[in-house]
Amino acid sequence: MDQDTLSNDSVASRPLPKWLTDQRDGLNYIQPVKIEMKEDRSLGISFMVTGILILLVITVLTVYVLQKNKNNSI
Amino acid sequence: MRSVYLKILILAGILSLACTTKVSEWVLLNSVPNQYTLVFYHNSLLSENQKQQNSKISTDIKDANILFKNVQSKEVIKPYYALYYQERLFAKYDSPEELYAIANSPLREKIAEQLMSGKLCVMLYLKTDDKEKDTRGLEILKKTITSSPFGEIITIVELSRKDLSEKHFISMLLNVESDLSEIKEPMLFGIFGKFKALEPLLSKGITEENINLMIDFLTADCSCLIKDNLPGTDILYTSNWENPAIALVNSILDANPTLMHN
Repeated sequence: MDQDTLSNDSVASRPLPKWLTDQRDGLNYIQPVKIEMKEDRSLGISFMVTGILILLVITVLTVYVLQKNKNNSI
Repeated sequence: MRSVYLKILILAGILSLACTTKVSEWVLLNSVPNQYTLVFYHNSLLSENQKQQNSKISTDIKDANILFKNVQSKEVIKPYYALYYQERLFAKYDSPEELYAIANSPLREKIAEQLMSGKLCVMLYLKTDDKEKDTRGLEILKKTITSSPFGEIITIVELSRKDLSEKHFISMLLNVESDLSEIKEPMLFGIFGKFKALEPLLSKGITEENINLMIDFLTADCSCLIKDNLPGTDILYTSNWENPAIALVNSILDANPTLMHN
């Protein structure tokens, strides 16, 4: 591990050795993979698709009924 | 078919054992100290006297982790010796007399003896010779080691910066990091393995917490991350590192399994 060799303003501002900070932070061994919850949008998408489908069916049926009534009245 | 399963089981057992070797023990048994390079720069053909001098130097350092080279260059005004560690210049010497005992000294012998006897590490306290500055860190060090469960297998060594018999050793310690020689503060070096010195704790960084982290680092299971990227600088030393005593840390951990950690 290459230690930092940057010059520092004072001894107090000099960083601690990397081996020490790695030991303190548990970075000297492979960390288990963290399981994180991902944002789930499937419910929203499902509602949107259902809504669009309902609107589409209503539109198609309305057009169909209106067209049929128009033909009957003639 | 059964023999195949048995072989797999034995192999898995060996692999699992390998991962539980502690850092200090693994480095002592498996790591090879990095080489220093001593270069003699000169501008003309070597005289008989220079050949004899260099031959003597080569003989003196032949068992140490160092290579000796001659480099002839017209740019060299006055012949000199330069000591390098992994392409970093550690020191320059104008005469062969200055190289006396470069690879050996009383304190280095004592430290190597401790490491070979199974001790976890040697904590070397490099003093500034300013009593006020030195006392604080030294008291914390002694108190921490006394209260540590690993205290019995850690040796504390004090060294004055003015100790002429250890001038090469002090120079190497102060080259572990490039700015150390400019810092006039007490320093605590953890020395382990085959004379590897960790980057030191300095001044107010010499605390109970940090000393215990140093002990934790050396008593941890030696992970692949550490093996692939070992910290510290190898100190130049003439030694035979074969057949060290059994690491004493294992008996302490066997008796107190709660002390085991990563």
